[in-house]
Amino acid sequence: MRWCLALLLCGFLAAVNALSSSGSRLLVVLDESTDQSAYSTLWSDLKGRGYDVSFESPKSDKLSLFKHGARAYDHLLIIPPKSKGLGPNLTPKNILDFLNKDGNILLALSGKAATSSAISSLLLEVDIQLSNDRSSVVVDHFNYDTVSSAEKHDVLLLQRPGPLRPDVKAFFNGEGVVALPRVAPQTLGSESNLVSPILRAPATAYAYNPKEEMPAPEDIEATGSQLNIVSAMQARNSARFTVLGSAEALEDQWFSASVQAPGGKKTTTVNREFAKQLTAWAFKETGVLKVEKIEHYLATDGEVAPENLNPKIYRIKNETVFNIEVSEYNYDKWVPFEVPGNDELQLEFTMLSPFHRLALKPVGRTETSTIYSTKFTTPDQHGIFSFRINYKRPFFTNIEEKHEVTVRHFAHDEYPRSWDISAGWVWIAGLWSVIGGFLAFVLVWLYSAPATEKLKKTQ
Amino acid sequence: MHLWQATLPICLLVSAALPVAATSAWGFADATVAVQPKGAGINGGFKEQFDSKKPLSKPIAFTDVDSLRVILTAKEGSSSKRPHQAFLLLKDERNGLDVSYPFTVKENGKARLELTQKELPIQFLSLADPIDARVVIGSFGESKAYDSSVFKLKIQRDANIPLPTAVTSRYGKLPEIHHIFKDSPSNPPIVITLAFTAAVAATLPVLGFMWLFLGANLGHLPTAIKSAPLPHAIFLGSLFSFEGLFFLYYTSWNLFQLLPAAALVGVVAFVSGSRALGEVQGRRLAGLR
Repeated sequence: MRWCLALLLCGFLAAVNALSSSGSRLLVVLDESTDQSAYSTLWSDLKGRGYDVSFESPKSDKLSLFKHGARAYDHLLIIPPKSKGLGPNLTPKNILDFLNKDGNILLALSGKAATSSAISSLLLEVDIQLSNDRSSVVVDHFNYDTVSSAEKHDVLLLQRPGPLRPDVKAFFNGEGVVALPRVAPQTLGSESNLVSPILRAPATAYAYNPKEEMPAPEDIEATGSQLNIVSAMQARNSARFTVLGSAEALEDQWFSASVQAPGGKKTTTVNREFAKQLTAWAFKETGVLKVEKIEHYLATDGEVAPENLNPKIYRIKNETVFNIEVSEYNYDKWVPFEVPGNDELQLEFTMLSPFHRLALKPVGRTETSTIYSTKFTTPDQHGIFSFRINYKRPFFTNIEEKHEVTVRHFAHDEYPRSWDISAGWVWIAGLWSVIGGFLAFVLVWLYSAPATEKLKKTQ
Repeated sequence: MHLWQATLPICLLVSAALPVAATSAWGFADATVAVQPKGAGINGGFKEQFDSKKPLSKPIAFTDVDSLRVILTAKEGSSSKRPHQAFLLLKDERNGLDVSYPFTVKENGKARLELTQKELPIQFLSLADPIDARVVIGSFGESKAYDSSVFKLKIQRDANIPLPTAVTSRYGKLPEIHHIFKDSPSNPPIVITLAFTAAVAATLPVLGFMWLFLGANLGHLPTAIKSAPLPHAIFLGSLFSFEGLFFLYYTSWNLFQLLPAAALVGVVAFVSGSRALGEVQGRRLAGLR
């Protein structure tokens, strides 16, 4: 009863604080010299979505990401300070420890001034590289704002990005242009599958150091879509590290600025919606998956009795059904998870290596989850197997499930009987003719009279 | 007169549109593209002029021994000038690939670029369709930047040299695996089985006929029944029920059902058998067998 009440209370609290799936304590690291009010719309939007926003200066002595060894905040938003570095409390190691303890980080950069080497080495840890001189700015002579940067072309006007690949869900798409002033570009390491670009520069864009007059051809390191304006790293523990190239894009003045692309019409930016999508993803309001329930049982017609659910042991060549319920967090509630277009939720039946890897198909849905199911025959190999779901996709938190079961071989009385095997008929006939011969022999031996006449004849 | 009336508005329209176009746009002139195999002389290989208005119609073949050279003069409006950006942009729309190569530009706008297949990203080397080569010229300020397709580049490779591959792992769905089951045990053709079964079953009648031919008979049965009816009946019965027990064990019984029954029948067979065989011995001693 008490347990029920606690659950109810929890549900009630969750309903009141419609917010991130992983906590509401947000720390904003902001230089004192930076005007906090420049971002006032962003703060009020975040507070409106249920975050407890606290502000600290990187130089402050009180600033600590941990308290008694545990995280003091759930999320961290870093606006680049004008001074060098992030101070002694925000060393790359501290920030990575925060990430390792499931804290989410949104790091904004700015092309206005050179990025500090501390941030650069922090980004290297997550396989995101800045340009060599750390003070490059992206320019594009085709997609710039003619109102605010007619001369310098360093305010990019870009459409919000669609899906990264056909099999990846688009979290940041939508109508309208985003204004991105003075972007510090990032390039991503190609070896890691944890990093993914969120917003890439257009093909005609390039980066240069504004302090130099004319870039020499050999100074141009990356161009076009190799330059990332917003990129993300989702660690193996599903903690998120998001890098936004232009901190200015979050300022109030760009949330509803009037901009005009060369040869285009005047439009209003959608920075506010984009900032919402970006912070929501970075702080785990979207793209969070949860497994509600897993069931497996022998395939039968009709209902499965509860005692036959999730047996510990199966036999080889058993028809088996596997069901999994998955939910996705969407801003303030759990909704049924839909697998993106070309993608599949896959089940592996594994002993050392997978014997089966099968697509799970949606068969039904509850209020908060979709039921995915598949049916298969256990392999003709006995041993300790496991049902495994290893669903790791860009922008979704990881699902890793492993449920061990034993697969035994046939019991002695489960094989077909000898008369079912036609090749055995010869041996069965032999056996019974020997038995018949024995009985006939006993009769003859017991009761046969000597064949006297014939014997006499021969004598 | 009519002609004048018609041309006047057009002239007005053109003059209205011209200033926009003429706020100086970036472009280029005196452009040539040359593909030269390694070791070929000055005049070896392929060389063609192109202009900023119309792309070359035919794709240019580009093999792994060639070097591609593009020369042009960048112009802002009609004056030659050095732009901030002068790139050769290779683009594959279908796969969303793009890569740019900056020209080496002199102060007077003369730009030059040399390219070999080694400098291309390996993703481009395996493309079957020609790549779109565009010239991008732009700079700060008001002037309109230039970006247009100028020719197509067809990548050709020596089929004997394997393509370099870049296997990078990306999270996504993996190929399906379906376990391949061992073949279930098979039986020989039923005709052969039946023939051999018939041959084996035929041994019993053959044995019977042979015994009859050699003079086997049941001639002493009446005598035996008369002298010791009960032991003979019980002994034979126990032998037959032994076989019956074995049949039951074969079809449905387990060992624990068989053993007590077999023990019981065994004792009966022992006791009745000693009596029945005593009678048989009596017949032998009487000289009847």
